[in-house]
Amino acid sequence: MIENKSAASKIRCFIIYFVILLLAFVCLVPLWNIVCISFSSSAAVAGNRVGMRPVQFTLGAYEKIIGDSQFWRSFGISVARVIIALALNLLLILLMAYPLSKSRREFRARNIYMYLLIFAMLFNGGMIPTYLVVKELGLLNSIWALILPGAVPVFSVIMVMNFFIGIPKSLEEAAIIDGATPFQVLTRVFIPCAKPSIATVALFSIVGNWNDFYSGLIYMTKIKNYPVMTYIQSLSVNLEELIKAGGSANALANAAEVSNQNLNAAKIVVAVIPLLLIYPLLQKYLITGIVMGSVKE
Amino acid sequence: MWNKKLWKSAMALALALTMALSAAACGKDGDKTPDSNPQGQQDNPGALEGAQDNADPFGAYEETVTCTLGRRTQQNPKLPEGDSYEENAYMSWVEDRFNVALTNAFESTDGEDYERQVALAISSEELPDMMTVDRATLEELVENDMLADLTTSYENYATDYIKDIYDSYEGRCLGSATFDGRLMALPTTSPDSAPSQVWIRQDWLDQLNIQLDTDGNSCITREELEMTAKEFLAKDPGGNGNPVGIAFTYDMNAGDNLEMQAISCSFGAFQKKWFQKEDGTVYNGSTTPQMKEALAYMNKLFTEGILDPQFGTRTWDDITALMTNGQTGIIFGVWHIPDWLLSNIKAMDPKASFTSFALEDGNGKVNVFHGDPAGNYVVVRKGYEHPELAVKMINLFHDERVTSKTLEQDAPEVYKYEQLGVDGSVRPLPVEINSNVSLLNDYSAIMKCVNGEADLEEMPTLEAKNMVGHIQRYNEDPNTTDVIDWSRYHSRTKGIQLIQNLTDNGSFAWVSPLYLGTTETMKSSGANLDKLEAETFIKMIIGEEPIDHFDSFVEQWNAQGGAAICEELAEKAQ
Repeated sequence: MIENKSAASKIRCFIIYFVILLLAFVCLVPLWNIVCISFSSSAAVAGNRVGMRPVQFTLGAYEKIIGDSQFWRSFGISVARVIIALALNLLLILLMAYPLSKSRREFRARNIYMYLLIFAMLFNGGMIPTYLVVKELGLLNSIWALILPGAVPVFSVIMVMNFFIGIPKSLEEAAIIDGATPFQVLTRVFIPCAKPSIATVALFSIVGNWNDFYSGLIYMTKIKNYPVMTYIQSLSVNLEELIKAGGSANALANAAEVSNQNLNAAKIVVAVIPLLLIYPLLQKYLITGIVMGSVKE
Repeated sequence: MWNKKLWKSAMALALALTMALSAAACGKDGDKTPDSNPQGQQDNPGALEGAQDNADPFGAYEETVTCTLGRRTQQNPKLPEGDSYEENAYMSWVEDRFNVALTNAFESTDGEDYERQVALAISSEELPDMMTVDRATLEELVENDMLADLTTSYENYATDYIKDIYDSYEGRCLGSATFDGRLMALPTTSPDSAPSQVWIRQDWLDQLNIQLDTDGNSCITREELEMTAKEFLAKDPGGNGNPVGIAFTYDMNAGDNLEMQAISCSFGAFQKKWFQKEDGTVYNGSTTPQMKEALAYMNKLFTEGILDPQFGTRTWDDITALMTNGQTGIIFGVWHIPDWLLSNIKAMDPKASFTSFALEDGNGKVNVFHGDPAGNYVVVRKGYEHPELAVKMINLFHDERVTSKTLEQDAPEVYKYEQLGVDGSVRPLPVEINSNVSLLNDYSAIMKCVNGEADLEEMPTLEAKNMVGHIQRYNEDPNTTDVIDWSRYHSRTKGIQLIQNLTDNGSFAWVSPLYLGTTETMKSSGANLDKLEAETFIKMIIGEEPIDHFDSFVEQWNAQGGAAICEELAEKAQ
C-alpha cells in the first residue's frame, strides 16, 4: 500500500512539476525572445524573423549602449530613485503599520486612519489633478516627483500591519515588562519578527519603482531627467503609428533608419539585470521568513 | 456619537470646499472678462511696433528675448554625441541670430506622450510660448482664446519664399489655420503624395519573364495585377514553399500603405473621404456605389485566392515578415515606402528590387485625391510679446537653411548637421514646410544632376544634393549592399518617377475631398463608425456577408451618426 501510494505520488509529483515547468517556460519565452532580438541584426528584427534564437548574430547593440550616455544617466537616476524610495517607503510603512496594528482600545482614532488609508487606496484625484499638485509644489523635473506621490504604499502598510497583528501579544508584554519603550518594542521585537513581510514589501517597492515609467513621462519634462524605464519607453519607434499620424517622408525615412529594435531590446536586457540580481538576494529572506512564521503560529 | 460628529464635520468641510472652489471658478471667470479686452488691445500696438522696426524677417532683437518651447521629440534622434534637444546647433543658430534665449518647457516623444504633455500644459493653463499641436488641439485652443493672432506677424515678417510655399496650396493650407479671418497658427505643409502605388518584385518578374505595362503608360490594369499575383502564387519565385497572395492590414483605415486604397480608387471610390456635392450636401466616399463595386471586386479576388487567405487578421509586422520571407511580392504603398519598409526586404534579401505601377481604371486614368494640405500647427501662446519670432524661425529654417548657397561659411555647425542628416525634430519648431510642387521640382533637379545636365551646386535644397549622391552611388553599382542607397534610388527613380510619368501623360484624375477638422458627432461616434465600416467591409470581402449587405451598411452608417456628420460638415463648409 505504502509503496503504491508513493508510486502514485511520484506520478502526481511528476505531473505537477511538468505543469509548473511548462508555466515557467511560458513565462520565460517572451524574455528569451527579447534577449534574442538584442543579439540580432535590425533588419532581421524588422522583418519579424527572430524567434527563439538570434538571426544574423551581432553584438552591435551592446556596443552602442556603452556609448549611450543618456542611458547611463537614466540608469543612475533610477538607481538613486530606488534607494531613496525604498528607505522612505520602509520608514513610512513601519511607522504606520505599527500603531495601526494596535486595537481600538489602545489607539482610539485607529479606524479613522484606516478609513483614510483605504479611501486613498481605492480613489485618487486622477492624472491631471495629481500633476497640478506636483507642479505647484515645484517638484517637476526633480527626483522627488517620482518618489513622494508613492511614498506611502497603502497595500504594503496593510500587509505589514496584518503581520504585526499576528505577532503574539505576550512577546510585546514581555518586552514592556522588561522596560522597553513603544519605540523599542517596534525596533527590537516587531521588526525582527516581521522580516519576511518587510522583505516582501521591500521587493514590491524596488520592483515598482524600478519598473515605473509613467510618472517619469508625466513629471519629467526633460529627457535628461528621465528614469531608465521612461527612457526606454520613449525610444520605441512605432512606424505604423507614425504613418497613421501623417509623418512626412523625411520623418519616416529617419525613423526607419534609427528604428533599432535590437538596440532597444538590448537596453531592456541591461535594465532588467539589477532586478535579476536583487531577487535571489531577497528570496533568501522570504523563504526563511516563511519558515519562521509557520513555526511561531 | 463620535462617528456622527465626525460625519457632520466632514460634510461641513466638504460643503465649504465646494463653495470655495466654485467661488474660485467664478473669480477666474470674472477676472478673465475685463482682462481679455486690454490684452486684445495690446496685440495691436505690439504689431505696430513690429512694423516700425521695418519688419526685418531675419532681424535680431536689441534685448535678449526669452522663449519657451514645447518640443515634439523623435525616438533615437540622430544627434551628435553630447548634443541634446536643448543644446544643439539648430537651437544656438536661432539664439545667436535673433538674440533670443530658448528653453524647453517640455520634451516628449511624438504621439501619445506628446499629446499628454500638451493636455497637461493646457489644463494647468501654462502654455509654453510656442509649440506644435494637431488640428483638434488647435481648435480647442482657439475656442478657449488661448492663442496669439499671427495674421500681422505673418503678413509683415514671412519672406516671399515662405509665402510662395503656402500660396502653392491655393489657400487650402493657411485656410485650415484661419478662424474668423484671423490666422491663428502656422500649418506645416504636407504635399500630395498620391497615388498609392503597386510595388512589385522586379527580380521575380524577370525570373518568371512577365511583361507588365506593355502600353508603356506606367499603369497596370486590374487584370495584369491578378495575372501577376496568380503567377507569383503558382510559381513561388521567392522559393519559400509557402507563397501567399496580396496582403492587406486588418484595420481597413484607408491609408495609402498596405491598404486597398489603390483598388478602391480604381473604381472611383474614395474610402473615408468627405466630399461636397454641388448642392452643398456632403457625403462620405465609403458609402458610394463605387465602394460597393470595389468591395465586390475584392471579394472576387479573395474567393479566387489572389488575396492573402488570412485577410482581416494581418498586422503590419506580419506583412513585413511575409515580404522579407519572400512569401509575397506585391505590396501597396506611397512613393517613399522603399525608404522605411521595403528597405528591410533589401537588407534580408540582397537580390530584391522593385518596380512600381499605378492601378488604372477602365478608362486608363488613375483616380487620386488631394491629401490634407496641413499637418501639425505651430501655435503661439496668447500674450507672448513676440509672436513674430515664430515666423522668423520659420524663415530661418525653411527659407535660409534650404536656399542659402553659403550656409557652409555662415553657419558651419548647422551645415554639419545637414550633412549628418540630423532629423528635423531637433529644430526649435519641428515642422516641414514644402511647396505642393516641391516633390516633382526637386526630383527633376536631382535627375538633371544625376544625368550630368546640371551642377551639384545648383540643387534647390541640401536634401536634393544628398539624394544625388545616393542615386549616383546606386547607379555605379546596382548590386550594392548599401540599403540606404538602394532605398533612396527606389523611392526616387521608381516612386517619384511614376508620379512624374503620370503627370506628364495627364493620367491623373484629381478630386478634392473636404478637410474641415473634427465635428461634435465625429468626436462622439467617429470611432464607432470606423469600427462598423471595417467590420462590415472585411466580412463582405471574405464572403461572410453578401455584397448586397452594403445597402444596409449605408443605412446603419447614416443612422449611427454618419448623416449627422455630413450635415455638420456641410454647415462648416459654407
